[in-house]
Amino acid sequence: MEVMTSDHQVRSVNEDQCQMCMPLGGVIAFKGIEETMVLIHGSQGCSTYMRLSNVEHYHEPVDIASTALNEKQTIHGGEANLRKALDNVIRVYNPSVIGILTTCLTETMGEDLDLMISAYKHDRNLQGVDIIPVPTPSYSASHTEGFWSATRRIIEHYARATAETSGINIIIPHISPADIREIKRIIDLFGIEYTLIPDYSMTMDRPFGGNYQKIPPGGTVPADIARMPGAQATIQFGLTCPEQLSPGEFLRRKYNVPLFSLPLPIGLKNTDRFISVLSELSGRPVPEVLLLERGWLLDGMADAHKYNAEGRPLIYGEPELVYALCTLCAENGATPLVVASGTKTGNLETLLSPILPDACEKTIFLEGTDFAAIDQAVEDQRVNVAVGHSGGRFLTERRGIPVLRIGFPIHDRIGGQRIRSAGYAGTLSFLDRFTNALLEMKYGSYRQHCLEETRGKGGY
Amino acid sequence: MTVTEVHIDEMMTPYPDKVRKNRKKHIIIKSAESAACPQIEANTRTIPGIISQRGCAYAGCKGVVIGPIKDMVTITHGPIGCGYYSWGTRRNKARSDDRTPPEKIYTNLCVSTDMQESDIVFGGEKKLAKMIDEVVAIFSPRGINICATCPIGLIGDDMGAVAKEAEERHGIPVIAYNCEGYKGVSQSAGHHIANNNLMERIIGSGTDPRTEEFVIYLLGEYNIGGDGWEIERMLTDIGYTVNCILTGDSSYEEIKDLHFADLNLVQCHRSINYIAEMMKTKYGTPWLKVNFIGVNATIQTLRDMATCFNNPELTRMTEVVIERELARITPALEKFRKICNGKTAFAYVGGSRSHHYQYLLRDLGMEVIVAGYEFAHRDDYEGRDVIPTIKTDADSKNIPELHLTPDEALYQEAHLHLGLSKEQYDTIAAQVPLGDYEGMYPIMRVGRIMVDDVNHYEAEEMIRQLKPDLVFSGVRDKYISHKMGVPSKQLHSYDYSGPYAGFNGAVIFARDVADALVTPAWKLITPPWEEKNGNRSDSDA
Repeated sequence: MEVMTSDHQVRSVNEDQCQMCMPLGGVIAFKGIEETMVLIHGSQGCSTYMRLSNVEHYHEPVDIASTALNEKQTIHGGEANLRKALDNVIRVYNPSVIGILTTCLTETMGEDLDLMISAYKHDRNLQGVDIIPVPTPSYSASHTEGFWSATRRIIEHYARATAETSGINIIIPHISPADIREIKRIIDLFGIEYTLIPDYSMTMDRPFGGNYQKIPPGGTVPADIARMPGAQATIQFGLTCPEQLSPGEFLRRKYNVPLFSLPLPIGLKNTDRFISVLSELSGRPVPEVLLLERGWLLDGMADAHKYNAEGRPLIYGEPELVYALCTLCAENGATPLVVASGTKTGNLETLLSPILPDACEKTIFLEGTDFAAIDQAVEDQRVNVAVGHSGGRFLTERRGIPVLRIGFPIHDRIGGQRIRSAGYAGTLSFLDRFTNALLEMKYGSYRQHCLEETRGKGGY
Repeated sequence: MTVTEVHIDEMMTPYPDKVRKNRKKHIIIKSAESAACPQIEANTRTIPGIISQRGCAYAGCKGVVIGPIKDMVTITHGPIGCGYYSWGTRRNKARSDDRTPPEKIYTNLCVSTDMQESDIVFGGEKKLAKMIDEVVAIFSPRGINICATCPIGLIGDDMGAVAKEAEERHGIPVIAYNCEGYKGVSQSAGHHIANNNLMERIIGSGTDPRTEEFVIYLLGEYNIGGDGWEIERMLTDIGYTVNCILTGDSSYEEIKDLHFADLNLVQCHRSINYIAEMMKTKYGTPWLKVNFIGVNATIQTLRDMATCFNNPELTRMTEVVIERELARITPALEKFRKICNGKTAFAYVGGSRSHHYQYLLRDLGMEVIVAGYEFAHRDDYEGRDVIPTIKTDADSKNIPELHLTPDEALYQEAHLHLGLSKEQYDTIAAQVPLGDYEGMYPIMRVGRIMVDDVNHYEAEEMIRQLKPDLVFSGVRDKYISHKMGVPSKQLHSYDYSGPYAGFNGAVIFARDVADALVTPAWKLITPPWEEKNGNRSDSDA
């Protein structure tokens, strides 16, 4: 397969960005840990902006505290503010865990968080609150790396050499709460005990009811994280996760926990791989209900192929999701023609080139890219359907290309947190959305196309 | 239920002592109708770890004031996060017109230098310079703004020098805004920085005087949901020449002619009063505090404007338009008023809206029982009279004050701008808020609360205690309110609705508020099996 890069890649201008900042990803990881508050060490605008982005997507309260540094602290250091912030967060929120994420400001200042935290813990004789700092300057990576980095730090903080357990570890990338719940349902069907991290399925998508609590119940329990080194194996949906940030790799190297690095179970083959591993690890046959769901998916795939084969997709967003969606589209006859991510480290081209069908058309891979480059590639490749987050909404306005919303952020449609695409059933939901987007276009324009084609052939 | 000091004390129990002492100064309960506003603490540092609604200087400069200028490309100089966060989020609408063709509108763009680790280490000046060249090559805009993010000041990039060189290379204005996020105590610092630069670099550079009559500029109107267009419609019908709405739907082309205004109108006092005042000093241009939010408020404002010009035809047309519009909207408004009447609300927004919307809510029979600003100064609560008594602190000193003198060629006394005699002007100034703003306090009723820089914790506690029917706020706390069973409306972005200003806006607002109040979901919280057992669950669920 030939690979092309667009001219836009050499520009300095990032025009309509496709990625978000590193601490934002860290926030989401911490929201998946039980009784946790997040504190951003920097100017207050960062936490305000990150609350905004999360709230617009999740439609949930998302409390993120800030050390609120001012000009004075940029000169004298932020320690006093950090201490005040910790005091206040502990008094008002009473958390068990405080995740501290740094920002461009505090990393440029060179703040030594480890030192400040250990002094604070000592001076306050702090008991019962774990403080976990993660360096996340936006200039070093995107929200994707921020998510992996925070997840790994959390595991590093708690993991202890422990007696062997019968359970497994599940490490997820940044996916929707609905997908987390679907993955948990599938594992439950095999009757395996597991620790899934970070589990924000109930903290970032809370049902109405019960008393409103400042820190919503749910999330991975720190005591369970501590036991992860004793697990039978780790399944990490992180093919695109850089090795130095990989939580599963950490558990494998330090504690010899066997690592199954799998693609997200989105798409038939990807889900098959996940189910095979679960069956192998549990020693149990695949449950009947999953076989039925696989059957329904296959039935749907066969029926819809005649439409899907006309799809010329652009797939963009966070690498792990992009990888899974690319393989899903390819196995349905809609070979991705533009594959893009604002994140640089996903290694998508290397991973996907060998497995995408060697169609007569070339796929353009754009990594660390912006929407200006994507837009150009979309035109060059005559893309007719886009799959990704709200950042690509202009494709519809400008080019009439439908954008199937999936991933993060989705702020111009409702329900981003409820989009379920994992497992056989989730895959089928996605596939139906994909096919129907193509059909909607077809019904909207096929008479016009027929007419134009007939005219072109000299008929009429 | 009326609130007393006891409630406030109870609410503050979890705070450490110092925090309690600090926060108490930010809260005022109105004691008597006639009383002058007690001093409120505002525009001071946010308490670390307490979740404030406030943003940063960059947000105020790029996100609020500079971003909406439609024919300039605004570059965010810094790492990638800030650019995304300020990308089109305030819904400032812009359209092409005879001065700005569609290809010269860049409001939907998000342009960032996307600084990497090496740029932080070695400096980002070269990258910025190269990027300006690219922006000129790709878009050929009329001008470029560069907004700084936190690391820029720390690594010492000289944006001003880069901008100056680029200006010489390309022959268009390239303006650098040193609005690093840590400056000041909130986005208010960014407003000031933006005002200063607009005043120094753009306003006054236009050379063709306006020949139309009654030329006005509407300052501090950001055209969220089309508010500015609704205001423009009314004003044009009356006979005014609305030269520019600043900065919603504004253009560089229009802003440079600002000094030809006969009268400046100030809608959002907080974010734009600096320009209004500086123009008064430099050009003598009078400014009038207006409020187009609310039917009665709009009528009052239109009459105030007519008073300023003291022109019989303008006065006549003002009444004609008022009568016409009232006849048109009253039936629709009445329908929604029936649903809204008697309901209570909280308003936690911005630096003006929590005041302005109280007029509109009163039109609908609703009362605001708690009102607060995120980033206001004392004068926005207590009125401009207190300005001389406000102490400058270390944070406000960091934002430069421009010291202007009257322009030798263009300065003329305020009364001449309006075509009035000095005596006429003085008489009128005593009747209408010319160069004056009374702040929020006078509209608050006895026993109601003003709270500055409210935080999530306090907002939640007050919702629990006072159980308002509706919370007006931003999206960040919208869902907290929902989880507590209280409907909420966003007053930053209007929940993708609008316009809410003027006569048409009042009806749309009334409809949206009525919709929120009657949302069927709130009545379906208790399932039938619990109702049968007599266990009606509290709606605070």
